Amino acid sequence: MKIRPDLKVMIDPYSGEEYVIVPPIVPDVAIIHAFRGDRFGNIITDSFRNDRLLAMAATKSIAVVEDLVDFDDVLPGRYGVFVSGVHIDAVVHAPRGAHPTACRDRYGIDTGHLMTYLEAAKSDDSFREYLERYIIGPDDHDAYLNLIDKGGIR
Amino acid sequence: MNDAPHPFETMMVVISRLVKNGEVAATGTLSPIPAGALYMAQLTHAPDLEMMVYGDPDIRITDGLHEFFGLAQRGLLDLFFLSGIQIDQRGNINLSVIGDYAKPKLRLPGGAGSNMISMMARRIILFTINHTAKLFVPKVDFINASSVDHSISWRRGTLSHVVTPMALMRYETDKEKIVLEASLPGTSAQKIQEHTGFDLGIEGREIPEIEHITDDELEILRGAVKQKLRRAYPLFCDMIWGK
Repeated sequence: MKIRPDLKVMIDPYSGEEYVIVPPIVPDVAIIHAFRGDRFGNIITDSFRNDRLLAMAATKSIAVVEDLVDFDDVLPGRYGVFVSGVHIDAVVHAPRGAHPTACRDRYGIDTGHLMTYLEAAKSDDSFREYLERYIIGPDDHDAYLNLIDKGGIR
Repeated sequence: MNDAPHPFETMMVVISRLVKNGEVAATGTLSPIPAGALYMAQLTHAPDLEMMVYGDPDIRITDGLHEFFGLAQRGLLDLFFLSGIQIDQRGNINLSVIGDYAKPKLRLPGGAGSNMISMMARRIILFTINHTAKLFVPKVDFINASSVDHSISWRRGTLSHVVTPMALMRYETDKEKIVLEASLPGTSAQKIQEHTGFDLGIEGREIPEIEHITDDELEILRGAVKQKLRRAYPLFCDMIWGK
């Protein structure tokens, strides 16, 4: 309460007990990585994350899908959970779109690239170089994948 | 004859021995040592352990860590594992900042539910991969989770033990502080105290070394435990056991 003076204390009208009420976080945009999804935003996300919660909290939600499939094929499988398209505003088809982080059951973390990123993030100049090389430079996602393939992906 | 245990292997065995048969236990993110300890316990003395290792492909959940937190809030979680960048004598842990909150020397991701879990799980075991006076401080710079807080009238459980590569410590609820229970192989109570920024209550007490880790235990650890753990923590397993 000392560092969060915006938090308020209220009496729960049912139990009569005192509680600190934390205001909700409302992100402008949520970007969610999904195993698969259809063009209407029905998606399957990793069950180890709370992506549905995130999509419902944000003003706008973008789903990035590994596989773009038909509605009938939006099935959870072993590691996934269904998130309804009513929570999703846009769908981007980007295989290996979680790189350099992992996508469970698809590909692991690219440790080498993450180390490159960590090094680059140490100064504004080196980070600008990183952005130029990997984000702004490549024409599209395929060009990015071609570029990182030279460094290898696990 | 097996190779001498890696310090993290020793920690897994020490933690596994603290797990009680029949408990419901879960591990959060970045917790390979507790995860290995739970697998070990289940394969040895705790066959009825109900365990949820975050990242284990055999665990089918719907809502990520949110789901574990829900279990804890309902009082269904017996044992959880936390760590900290600083831990103090009263069992407070810090996961937020080093230095002054407004002008920190180091800013970390934060508590991530550790306070709720530490209040609502029946037992907490803390683990750290190093043991220094910088980590075990007289008073943490910021409290994310407490083991005792007299301003709050009710809690379900509290800190049980603290395990490091040097020491097995326990939390004494009546004295409200952490004391040394046993040393791990290769060190001594005196050395542990020197690496700890608060009094571990060793004065006038005989501090034993932990019970010897048997060849059988090492065999299970390097066999079935490694196999299970690798699925959730491949890089950690590569580090201590090779590819």
